[in-house]
Amino acid sequence: MNRRRFMTLTGSGLAMLGGGRAFAQQPQGRLRIDPTEFRPIPIAITNFVPGSPADGDVSNGVTQVITNNLKRSGLFAPIDQAAFIERISNIDVAPQFQNWKTLNAQALVTGRMTRQPDGRLKAEFRLWDVVTGQQLAGQQYFTSPEYWRRIAHIISDQIYEQMTGEKGYFDSRVVFVDETGPKERRVKRLAMMDQDGANVRYLTRGADLVLTPRFSPNSQEITYMEFGQGDPKVYLFNIETGQREIVGNFPGMTFAPRFSPDGQRVIMSLQQGGNSNLFVMDLRSRSTTRLTDTPAIDTSPSYSPDGTRICFESDRGGRSQIYVMAAGGGQAQRISFSKDDNNATYSTPVWSPRGDYIAFTRQGGGQFSIGVMKPDGSGERLLTSGYHNEGPTFSPNGRVLMFFRDPGGNGGPSLFSVDISGRNELKVPTPGFASDPAWSPLLSATAGQ
Amino acid sequence: MKVNVDKTLVASIVLHVLVIGWGLLTFSSKAFIAPEESLPIDIISTDQLAQITNGQKTGKKEEPKPKVEKIAEAKPEEDSVGKVTEKKELIKTTSTPDTPPPPPKPVEKPVEKKPDPPKPVAEAKPKEEPKPQEKKPDPAKEDPIAELQKKLDTKKPPPKPVEQKVAAVQPQQQPKPKERSFDPAQIARDLDKRAATRHELTGTALNASASLGSTSGTAANNVATWQGAFQGAVKRCFTPTYNGQDANLYEADIDIPMRVDGSLASEPVIVAVRGPSRSIAQAVAESAKRAIVQCQVYSFLPKQQYDSWKLIPMTFGLKDML
Repeated sequence: MNRRRFMTLTGSGLAMLGGGRAFAQQPQGRLRIDPTEFRPIPIAITNFVPGSPADGDVSNGVTQVITNNLKRSGLFAPIDQAAFIERISNIDVAPQFQNWKTLNAQALVTGRMTRQPDGRLKAEFRLWDVVTGQQLAGQQYFTSPEYWRRIAHIISDQIYEQMTGEKGYFDSRVVFVDETGPKERRVKRLAMMDQDGANVRYLTRGADLVLTPRFSPNSQEITYMEFGQGDPKVYLFNIETGQREIVGNFPGMTFAPRFSPDGQRVIMSLQQGGNSNLFVMDLRSRSTTRLTDTPAIDTSPSYSPDGTRICFESDRGGRSQIYVMAAGGGQAQRISFSKDDNNATYSTPVWSPRGDYIAFTRQGGGQFSIGVMKPDGSGERLLTSGYHNEGPTFSPNGRVLMFFRDPGGNGGPSLFSVDISGRNELKVPTPGFASDPAWSPLLSATAGQ
Repeated sequence: MKVNVDKTLVASIVLHVLVIGWGLLTFSSKAFIAPEESLPIDIISTDQLAQITNGQKTGKKEEPKPKVEKIAEAKPEEDSVGKVTEKKELIKTTSTPDTPPPPPKPVEKPVEKKPDPPKPVAEAKPKEEPKPQEKKPDPAKEDPIAELQKKLDTKKPPPKPVEQKVAAVQPQQQPKPKERSFDPAQIARDLDKRAATRHELTGTALNASASLGSTSGTAANNVATWQGAFQGAVKRCFTPTYNGQDANLYEADIDIPMRVDGSLASEPVIVAVRGPSRSIAQAVAESAKRAIVQCQVYSFLPKQQYDSWKLIPMTFGLKDML
């Protein structure tokens, strides 16, 4: 008995030893963390230190613009300055990180605005990793004082890129159709503003109706459709000079123009009879090439970022759907298929600057929705729905969509933005009603073009 | 001539002769036993005894208490039943004491040692203690013991010191006849005592340092517990920002060197990053590093398993972000 018991105990002891060894080996495999919940990054943005008392307003303005940009992105949660423990008076001295850890901040922004003897404005900023105490970024810029907002946007992009790994989109503009007056006599003007709604400029006087403006890749030109004398025509507008010219001289109506990624061509629809087909015109040679030839309405073309393919809408199948084909024309492949509503239609497709998604307007079930799908038609996601949502346009980094929403009635349309995940839907401030937004490329990225 | 003999006188003489003869015989036997009284006895004081029993610094040190291994070897209690053969060895021990050089002092000690536990016990125990235990169960032992006693009686005259030793043992052997009666309860008692000794040594001698839980418990080996807790703690601080297409392809492998107190021994090391965009993958890794540093100290990690989390390899992914 005892011997048997001893053997049993010994056996179990050995088993325990073996078990312990097995447990010890478990950590050899990597532990995994896959968060399911999205949370913005807590960031502390201190007031930029003014180089002189006269620089106080611009310093506070830069701080405010940066805070507003990061907050509206939905990826950052700026900490209320009232909670700050430390006051930054010299950005050349490392902050007391413990004071910022206490606030649970992961990043800290400090900066200084100084007027130079030559009248220019010098902007400096530092981005600190509060947790590790390391400086993640530090830059200085010189500019004319009137461009202080753009400096704030550029700094915002630096912070955004450093923390997310993605290019920012704050240093960009939006061109849109500004609408004023009663509904029956609505005046529509071409307008342009910063992506945050500031610095609105009107490009046309409103004498003629304008639609579907689009930026050129270098952000210096805009192509749009205008109802002038006779048939509506596609125009080119130079932002710097204010000059405009007709793109091509076609017998019928041309509309829905858009630049190719290299800016050398404009693709558009040309109405001939009851049909409309896609054409592309080389801006240097002014030669035109027909891309589609169908007894249907093909319109709203949009290039892929690499310029090799085109997505467009067509009712060649009976209802308006989205198709993809080679940039030179040829066989088109339908990619939009509604799973829950056979009567749903898809329109206004636009290819993301990143190339990963195609955004669209979907009409079905009595609602207009804004959504995205992959270029092969898979992974369709509706981001927002309502009475009337239309005309999506991507931010330069492909992370945010802007569109216009018309509530109906006597009101008018407004601009909204939403993250491609469907979160963080925000109204974009405009002076009046606004529709047909088009986002420009990143200005700082196109400065050399 | 006729002699007149007094019959009473004759009877008196006869009786006297008988009485005297009986007395001679009786006294003569008592005188034969007398030699035992010639035992040499020295009376010594307690101080003297202390000096005698004092150990010498230069002397050989006795080994400490028996370790567990030895006790474990002595376990086979069942053998005690069959140890009849060992009794023969007992006989040898009684006869062999002649050979070891027992100095005159130890011979004297036993007399006064009765109150003193130290040396005599140490000397006698290893040989004598097993005897009573083994003898108890065996009724068959009577013969060898009887023979042993007879031998001892006959051997008495030669070496006195030997007799003294035997005499010293005798008071312990006196109960032997009683032990001969088979008593299972007594065996059980002895076995229980041995078991208790073994447990005591296991707890104190083998594990002098304090530790959490019982020394034989397995709760502390629950690795999954600390892993889950660690994942949860780091996850609280992990704020990745990317949730676009192919988010499931982004991963960052990070090794986390730890101190025993649950703090970071050094900065987490980014071992590898994966994903379509290098910059986004790197941002995921940096975000994970911040989370690891920000959420320390991980004091809940079990210290007794430090070897298993001295370096924690982790993978941070975004597959569930979309």
